[in-house]
Amino acid sequence: MTDTPVTDSYVEKEQAVDREVDPAIEKILHATDAAHPTEGDVAIQNYTINFGPQHPAAHGVLRLVMELNGEIVERIDPHVGLLHRGTEKLIEYKTYAQAIPYFDRLDYCSPACMEHTFVLAIEKLLDLEVPIRAQYLRVFFAELTRISNHMLNLGSHVMDVGAMTPNLWMFEIREDCYGFLERATGARMHHNYFRPGGVHQDVPLKLLTDIADWLDTRLPRLFEDAISLVADNRIFKQRNVDIATVSREDAIKWGFSGPMIRAAGIPWDLRKSQPYDVYAKMDFDVPVGTRGDCYDRFMVRVEEVRQSARIMKQCLAEMPEGPIASLDRKVVPPKRAEMKRSMEALIHHFKLYTEGYHVPAGEVYVATESPKGEFGVYLVSDGSNKPYRCKIRPTAFSHLQAMDFMSRGHMLADTTAILGAMDIVFGECDR
Amino acid sequence: MRAPAPAWAAQLNDATVDAARAAIGGALLDAVEIAGEVQLHVTRDGLVAALIALRDTPGLEYQQLMEIAGVDYPDRAERFEIVYCLLSLTRNHRLHVHVGATEDTPVPSVTDIWPVAGWLEREVYDMYGVLFSGNRDLRRILTDYGFRGHPFRKDFPLTGFVELRYSEEQKRVVYEPVKLAQDFRTFDFESPWEGAQYVLPGDEKAKLPEAKGAPTPATATEVQKAGAAQTPKQDAPAPSQPYAKKDTTSTAETGAGRAETDAVPKPADPDVVPSKGGGQNQ
Amino acid sequence: MGVEAHSGPIGLVNNPEPGQGVIAPDQGFFDGLNGELNDKGFLVTSTEELFQWARTGSLWWMTFGLACCAVEMIHVNMPRYDMERFGAAPRASPRQSDVMIVAGTLCNKMAPALRKVYDQMSEPKYVISMGSCANGGGYYHYSYSVVRGCDRVVPVDIYVPGCPPTAEALLYGVMQLQRKIRRAGSIER
Repeated sequence: MTDTPVTDSYVEKEQAVDREVDPAIEKILHATDAAHPTEGDVAIQNYTINFGPQHPAAHGVLRLVMELNGEIVERIDPHVGLLHRGTEKLIEYKTYAQAIPYFDRLDYCSPACMEHTFVLAIEKLLDLEVPIRAQYLRVFFAELTRISNHMLNLGSHVMDVGAMTPNLWMFEIREDCYGFLERATGARMHHNYFRPGGVHQDVPLKLLTDIADWLDTRLPRLFEDAISLVADNRIFKQRNVDIATVSREDAIKWGFSGPMIRAAGIPWDLRKSQPYDVYAKMDFDVPVGTRGDCYDRFMVRVEEVRQSARIMKQCLAEMPEGPIASLDRKVVPPKRAEMKRSMEALIHHFKLYTEGYHVPAGEVYVATESPKGEFGVYLVSDGSNKPYRCKIRPTAFSHLQAMDFMSRGHMLADTTAILGAMDIVFGECDR
Repeated sequence: MRAPAPAWAAQLNDATVDAARAAIGGALLDAVEIAGEVQLHVTRDGLVAALIALRDTPGLEYQQLMEIAGVDYPDRAERFEIVYCLLSLTRNHRLHVHVGATEDTPVPSVTDIWPVAGWLEREVYDMYGVLFSGNRDLRRILTDYGFRGHPFRKDFPLTGFVELRYSEEQKRVVYEPVKLAQDFRTFDFESPWEGAQYVLPGDEKAKLPEAKGAPTPATATEVQKAGAAQTPKQDAPAPSQPYAKKDTTSTAETGAGRAETDAVPKPADPDVVPSKGGGQNQ
Repeated sequence: MGVEAHSGPIGLVNNPEPGQGVIAPDQGFFDGLNGELNDKGFLVTSTEELFQWARTGSLWWMTFGLACCAVEMIHVNMPRYDMERFGAAPRASPRQSDVMIVAGTLCNKMAPALRKVYDQMSEPKYVISMGSCANGGGYYHYSYSVVRGCDRVVPVDIYVPGCPPTAEALLYGVMQLQRKIRRAGSIER
């Protein structure tokens, strides 16, 4: 094991072993088939195993029906829907404001980014202007969420292939992120912070300075230390390099997005190519992989964390003072203090929290760059206060579907690495 | 556009419609732009050819299929609408392709153009019951094994028809008809002044004649007819009506509960042992 | 002097007012225990006390992460909260675990698997229902595909409210379960 070059993969080794087999034996092996085993012949038949739905490496409730030839994966049939909660149906029965928290619970590793898409879709239908400070705040917290999401994914990916320590450190970063998000929004995980027209409330200055300090000191120290343990680690490379290589053509055909398409070598980032909010003003780089394997996916995410920190620093430097939500009182409810003084504000408050706002009829497909890829919302409004149809485009659906061709020919143990590098969360996949 | 939505090349919309018209030809029923997004409505038979044209024609180049969304419009002749959301990486443009369908008219599958369509079509089939001819793996995907019905149809109730519990007798989970402790509370927000469809409680009296001798614009025959129609039976309000009228004749039927039969104080419950104090920290 | 004082936080009864700061350990108790052990070389206690002590001290829990709450369940194990200091370590196998934390929305499709895992756990077994969805369906109560509370499928000992409950809340739930085990007071549960 120690003499193996780092780029060697299990498959290549397996093929190498095959090549060394004596031609005479090979002839016998191939001549026999399962139906007519000859005496003394070891007949290895394909067998099917069930991976999940309760498996710690399945990252939730995934059931993989695997057909194995020995330890080589021949076919994978992922069964999803074990966390199908009927979110889209429930949204049709709720007002727009009541539906936002469902988005938090879709991809529970990056709640703010999920809200972001839905809020932008509503705003597009309403054609609602958003104050510049609110746009900065949204980008700021979306990037903080991206860091938090990548911490979970990188940590668990590393853990799936056998390393424990980096995960502990990365969860410490996550705890910091949760602390900041709690201070800004009041909730550790499910914020319901982004609202059509802006954000729910302003952040205190002390929070911003604390995050700035954290970005300068604690985050780079913990993160770079943790990554330095695995990025050049030989075992980690053996488990990831050249595993589940995806070509550019395949990545496009299979509807990949996010780190998955970037690892395949296509510099496609919706924050760059289709900027929303103030991403157009941000200066950041899009990391791209060269080989399209699990290791590239891992390293693309690692670099994205650094770029997210860069975006956050720019936000802190440039964020202007001003209102944090649109002043359109037909959409954005007034603050409580205003409500206590003004009758009109009270009426608006009452109307907006019972009936909600009516969204003009129309159909939009709005997609943003969530940490996992393109997360889209196809929103159909019939002019009432509830969505007529809200189709959620999960990132995981196309990636998980590609699991079959990506794992084919790899070892059983590699599937956990492949799954870990995909970054799949079932709240979003199954909805 | 004032909203800070993702800024893709929406200025190409008009050129795209023209190019799509030329590329798709007769299969294109309609091309509209709603909220800054181009929608192409195509015929079911011409769908595959249209999507291949959209993918391969230079100047259109929609390489990626991002999403297939089903929508249910029960009032239409073809009640389901299947929406293909396409993305062009090279032109940075998005497009929807719409096609109508019913339960009995299968939509040609696009799995041969984009393999990603496999699961997306399975999902539409699962949720709406739209069939895709040519999809070799058209199983249910999200709902439970053995699920009946297609939940995202507008006529499928939100809470479904069955619910699940573990049966101690059968030693397995069993399905039973749904029994909710509290109904889902839906409110309509139509103003009663602007065309509410239901009768507000109390409004039914407006149609009746007032007390004998009171001034009424109705003629005597109308009054008699109305009285005869009203007295023997009154239509019970549908249970789903939000303002179901409730006749309360005794206190037992109200929320107040039954009156105490005797006014003696309750005897001490022998099962309750007075605690020694200290609460739950004991 | 026996070891029955294991069955409760030491000194809490003598300290009626809450929030009075750190409760000092009862030095006399430890001295007595130490003396007894040095004197005789063994301790005398009832088997029940011993079993309860063993049960509460090593609550290995089954990682049944279903949805959002699973993230908080991971957090409670990570260095900041470190649930292992209560002897509660995560196990991936139901055969080795004592308590199952149902963390997240239980959907119809998943319910048979949940029950199967519960059936595979060895006695005595406990269930902590974590979060609104597991408690009673929560935000998804009216959905056609959600079990309205995991207590329809498995018997639940402790309900932890919240959406999701914070890591502290889950930690408190585990401590409540330890208290409940101490109180249950029989070898056969």
